[in-house]
Amino acid sequence: MSLVHGTNLRKTYRMSRHNSVAALCGVDVAIPAGEMVAIMGPSGSGKSTLMHLLGLLHAPDRDDGPAPQLRIDGVDVTTLSDGKRTAIRARSMGFVFQSFNLVPTLTAEENVALAAEYAGTSRGKARRAAREALDSVGLADRVGHRPMELSGGEQQRVAIARALVNDPMLILGDEPTGNLDSARTLEVLALLRRFNRERGQTVVLVTHDAEVGEACDRIIRMRDGLIVADELVAQLPVAA
Amino acid sequence: MRLLRELSRRKLRTTLTITGITIGIWALVVFSSMANKINDLVGMGADFYADKIVVTDGVAFGTSPMRLTDADAIASVDGVAAADPRVELLWETDLAVSFSVPDTILGTIPGADGGHDTFQTELATGRELAAEDAGNVVVLGSSLAQKHGVTTGGSIEIRGETFEVIGTLQPTLTAPDTTAYVTLAAAQPMYLGDLPPLVAESLVADELINQVVAYPDEGADISAVAAAIEATVENSATMTGAEFDETVGGTTAIFNAIIIGVAAISLIVGGLSVINTMAMSVAERTREIGIKRAIGGSRGRIIRELVAEAGVIGLIGGLIGLGLGAVVVVLANEAGRSGGTILFDLTVNTALFAVAFSTILGMIAGIIPSWSAARLDPVSALRYE
Repeated sequence: MSLVHGTNLRKTYRMSRHNSVAALCGVDVAIPAGEMVAIMGPSGSGKSTLMHLLGLLHAPDRDDGPAPQLRIDGVDVTTLSDGKRTAIRARSMGFVFQSFNLVPTLTAEENVALAAEYAGTSRGKARRAAREALDSVGLADRVGHRPMELSGGEQQRVAIARALVNDPMLILGDEPTGNLDSARTLEVLALLRRFNRERGQTVVLVTHDAEVGEACDRIIRMRDGLIVADELVAQLPVAA
Repeated sequence: MRLLRELSRRKLRTTLTITGITIGIWALVVFSSMANKINDLVGMGADFYADKIVVTDGVAFGTSPMRLTDADAIASVDGVAAADPRVELLWETDLAVSFSVPDTILGTIPGADGGHDTFQTELATGRELAAEDAGNVVVLGSSLAQKHGVTTGGSIEIRGETFEVIGTLQPTLTAPDTTAYVTLAAAQPMYLGDLPPLVAESLVADELINQVVAYPDEGADISAVAAAIEATVENSATMTGAEFDETVGGTTAIFNAIIIGVAAISLIVGGLSVINTMAMSVAERTREIGIKRAIGGSRGRIIRELVAEAGVIGLIGGLIGLGLGAVVVVLANEAGRSGGTILFDLTVNTALFAVAFSTILGMIAGIIPSWSAARLDPVSALRYE
């Protein structure tokens, strides 16, 4: 059964009264639970927009075409209110961004704990969960450091710990290795693959990087707001 | 801790905003303390006038001469239970301009109120004046006793004459603190000496008073009794409790409104400053707010976080403003104490109100920018540079 199942997903951004950009032009997508999927395509192909819909950061357009539907873990989330979509994001999803997106004034532990608190965990339990998550990404000795005191690779590992702290069923990465060198890229991919295999978490990565795509189970290729290819990847060993 | 860290990111702007709130709360504390003092005085005046009619010779609060026989005439008016003749005069003949209650001398016949006076002061030491007292004996209000460094058993010079101190009063923070209570016989010659020679030469000291306090019968219509007194005693003017409240209370309300208005203007400026600071803060932290929204921070949670920050700005400004206001109040009162000029009364309620008000003001001012922040689209906010 698909963890994520979307049909007729469309999104048009209005830039001004007379200017709009159709970013997603009616996409059907299904991602089984436990799969690690890459969404690839050139700039403007709609891959980030698709990830924003799957991550419930935006809702699909409902006018000018057949009714869209998006189901996450069997629940129809197409028309949920902002509050309900936010609650699902907090409890069932983890996000990893290209530029790490950590809160600069908070320590690594506080950044990770914040996601747990947003999911409804008490502050004390959130702190403990954050330390465990940071330990699982090899940053047990950096819990008290602020983002500025960490390297890029370490910051992204903090972001991964934050994405994992609530043990979500879906991890979404928007160019998660885009700001990392090749060694750190392999580190991050290895971590994501490890959690995908050990915990059965579904991972969806938006990327330009062919190496990242090849590290996934499947690649969805996009162009001009449409899916143009959907192919399985012959699994290659990933450096640990 | 997180909150303070967030505020410390913008040290200069936060400091300036806190300074704005501090000035507003400082003004509120100082002016409210002054209003408290004035209200205390007026309240004490209202208590004093509550159950009596003060009769003077045509001038309210006046010190024009009356005759002792006027008291007998007033006592005979229907509805008057007792008439208490008095001489009230200033301690100093050449009074400098002052905002405080001046030192006064009050000459009375102990017991002349017939037990009707409900306005009571408490003794700190010694005893009150008694009917059998004669000569130069005095009961001093607390400020006078402190000012002259005397207590029961000591002596004090009043208008060139030595008086034996037979008692001192507990502080009331109002007029009795600066009053010396003497016998009517002791006050009459002093009053005569104050009058212009042309007036004085036709008067005899022991027939001289300048006010009569009339106590109406229980259940009597006070305004009707006052009218009857004015009709009976030629050129007399009466002041009842209701008239005092109307005359002085109205003036006090205007004064209070001006004082609170000045403080309110300062606080509105402070509040706008908080809005500005928080709006700038939200603009600077657009991306951070996007991150928080993306990882599951609800709109309500974002609003709470930012409103709490604004509230802390208000709280810190309020506490500093209260502290500085308290310093001014204490220093000004201490500086004025020797001259009997106690201008301020900083009460616990005023202090609590000031801090609570500044905190709530900060929070209210923080709502508008917080609301805007919470409505940011998380994707656009994440792209914000």
